[in-house]
Amino acid sequence: MSMTRRQFLASLGGTGLVYALRFVPEASAKTVSYGAIPVENDTPGCTAEYIPVDYSEWIVFGPDNQVSVFTGRTELGQGLKTVITAIVTQGLDITQDQLTVVQGDTDLCPDDGPTSGSAATRHVGMGFWDACQKIRGDVVRRAADSLGISSEHLEYRSGGVGRKGEAGTLAYAYELGSGEAVILDINPKAILNEQYVDIEIPNVNGEKIVSGELKYVGDLQMPGLLYAGWLTQPYHPRLTRLQSVNMDNARALPGIKCVEVVDGRVAAIGQRCSDVVKALNLVKADWTLPKRSKELRVEEEARAGAQLEVVKEEKGNVEAGLASSDIVLTETYTTQYAAHAQIETDAAVATPIGPDGRITVWVSSQYPYLDRERVFKYLRMEPSDVHVIAMPVGGGFGGKIGNLSGREAAKLAGMVNAPVKLIYSRRNQFQLISFFKAAVVIDITTGVSADGRIIARKIDSFQDETDGTTETYVIPNVLTRVYMAPWPFGRCASRGTSYVQTCFAIESHMDMVAHRLGMDPFEFRRKNVQYPAFLNLIDACAEMIGYGGALNTDEGIGMGLVRHGGAQLGVIAAKVAVDRNSGKITVKHVCVAFDIGPVISRRTATVTIRGGVAWGIGYALSEEIKLDGHHTETGYFSQYKIARFSDMPPIDIQFFDDHHIGSVRGCGEMPVIPTIGAIANAVYNAVGVRFYSTPMTPDRVKQALG
Amino acid sequence: MSKKNVILKVNGEMRQVLVELDEPLLWVLRDDLGLTGTKFGCGTGECGACSVLINGEARRSCRVPVAYAAAGQEIVTIEGLGSSGNLSPLQQAFIDHTAFCCGFCTPGMIITATGLLAKNPQPTREEIIEAMDNNLCRCGSYNNIIEAIESVIEGS
Repeated sequence: MSMTRRQFLASLGGTGLVYALRFVPEASAKTVSYGAIPVENDTPGCTAEYIPVDYSEWIVFGPDNQVSVFTGRTELGQGLKTVITAIVTQGLDITQDQLTVVQGDTDLCPDDGPTSGSAATRHVGMGFWDACQKIRGDVVRRAADSLGISSEHLEYRSGGVGRKGEAGTLAYAYELGSGEAVILDINPKAILNEQYVDIEIPNVNGEKIVSGELKYVGDLQMPGLLYAGWLTQPYHPRLTRLQSVNMDNARALPGIKCVEVVDGRVAAIGQRCSDVVKALNLVKADWTLPKRSKELRVEEEARAGAQLEVVKEEKGNVEAGLASSDIVLTETYTTQYAAHAQIETDAAVATPIGPDGRITVWVSSQYPYLDRERVFKYLRMEPSDVHVIAMPVGGGFGGKIGNLSGREAAKLAGMVNAPVKLIYSRRNQFQLISFFKAAVVIDITTGVSADGRIIARKIDSFQDETDGTTETYVIPNVLTRVYMAPWPFGRCASRGTSYVQTCFAIESHMDMVAHRLGMDPFEFRRKNVQYPAFLNLIDACAEMIGYGGALNTDEGIGMGLVRHGGAQLGVIAAKVAVDRNSGKITVKHVCVAFDIGPVISRRTATVTIRGGVAWGIGYALSEEIKLDGHHTETGYFSQYKIARFSDMPPIDIQFFDDHHIGSVRGCGEMPVIPTIGAIANAVYNAVGVRFYSTPMTPDRVKQALG
Repeated sequence: MSKKNVILKVNGEMRQVLVELDEPLLWVLRDDLGLTGTKFGCGTGECGACSVLINGEARRSCRVPVAYAAAGQEIVTIEGLGSSGNLSPLQQAFIDHTAFCCGFCTPGMIITATGLLAKNPQPTREEIIEAMDNNLCRCGSYNNIIEAIESVIEGS
């Protein structure tokens, strides 16, 4: 439930010119209700294509010609605030000093959906862009009516209206409104004017970031603030219960306010962080032994008892297609459990209920309205009594949709009747949270004609949603099925969603089919791509990486293709070197060719894409949550190896946005997706060994090379 | 352990705090002195987000007991390198090269690179990677960080 228009207008004091943006429903890709995201469940879903059914963003012209824009979407480091600033300052012809961007405050901002799915720029940015164009005309019309001058003689300029051919401002926009909101119907697929492409303004948070001044939630201070932490349980949180606990020694520590069992877990609250850490170390807790086998066999368990969840796609006749194929290849690919591993752990600050009956919760959040709902349901309060403020996020990647620390901090603050700061420890972040990027098993069968046309493809995917399976290649006969089994470990939205696992399987398999055909794998892809635009991307990548040129011994080149978010096309090529003695795979060079529509900020897109490649490298080579059947063994960064400086190759990027006109798309997730298959294919090209599972660690490489 | 008054020299100023001597310097900087640019990322010295300069050398403040830091050491945090409107050349280079996304690891990155450049004003790329390699960035802004550091090397 978002704030009503009336409440919002009241908060403005009934002045100024107010625009409420409303997305045109028929223009929406998909309209889903806000309740589609489970609130009680600790395994959060994610609706990337969420478009609000009610009002979306607000744009307010206030006194002194100041403009404020409001969005519920949060700053994750994707540069949303910078993009909004770029679009609105140019769209309304105002300076940065005139603009205030308010994000993620549930008292001020509308509920315009989760910040996820590489969709914030696409939806919010384009919404503001379309609104700015409409506002220019509306302001002129209002000035014409108000001044009794024909609008033909007036033009919009810098938050106001002037007479054509004359300097000066006849009226400012804020003088032309009654405080009553003007509803603007927004087309989220609005076309971006050429002049708005390539806006290279530096990150608007940049100075605060590099000086340490930007406040993340853990940096908040306030009088009387107490610190809280959770004890990490020895088994996976879904498999165990607290049986008995002795908190006497912990409670006796100086500086400790309380040590309590809260919803089956042990929390300590004290005057200092170090008090809390010491207290939790003194807690003696016994936990029930999990009732399932301690041995974990991912593939076996994924298949055991799996039920058909959904037929994702059925086209033509896959069995007949396979029967008429000249070559049929069936393979199975598996992937690992992986973590978000944000450097900022989950964290929140909450106040107890104040004299006005309200509480305030500051949280590292990708969706403050979901956090608000979690809090008021958990504490059985009224929605209007909970004020959530999303702080800049120190790494989200999907995991901070599922961040429960907001409601936890709110509960703990109530227990001690003081403001509480809850910061997850690194072990908490790996072991207290029950969800990961899923381990997936994918059976894939492809039939091709002798001349290299794909005739049929069948995919049976276990524990996955098989996003993106049939979007890249032209295939007349398709059957894609998803199976789910009872499974102890939760899954969560994570950068790239299940495109990542599926694309690894498909792109690896594509190479193996090409190999069986005796066809060059790049050429095999060229022959089967769904969109001609892919041909330019493939050729660009091949040229950038030097495909067909000389390679050193045990070096190889591979490629992966992706189509994401409907209209974003991408190709990534990787060159690797394999050390046969150590088993270490070194990624030597990565080349990226993306067609993601007009690029608003090339510098932001570049660093984002390179970062996505870093995720792909980690996922391909080293990242793995280690689980036995009971316990998450991974608790520290020394055990969970994300890509670091020494793992990074040069990454060259070409954007194919020559048309320069079109709707803005996203690029946060896309680079993760094809990188893994590209690396696996490069390894195959280098040493002739196919890896059917990730990650390709040195031990596994050595084993595979014998 | 009981609390004691200790004096820290931080960013050129003498600051007195009442703390237990084994407490990590990180929490004293953040919670007693309000220097929250130094971030908590892991608490085990594995990510580098909490890096500060102690006598010019980058150290993990989550692993340094405050008693050690108090013994006449010169501590410099990210706030000591520059502030908005008055940035160090390296801080400015991080902006110019978009060497961050979420920015959470950035203070630790800048501190570590500052420590490197103080010791080795003209590092090779390999030396930069070696010095920075235990600082983690989950957004993966590594290549841009290297470009930022290289841009401030004298004569570059």
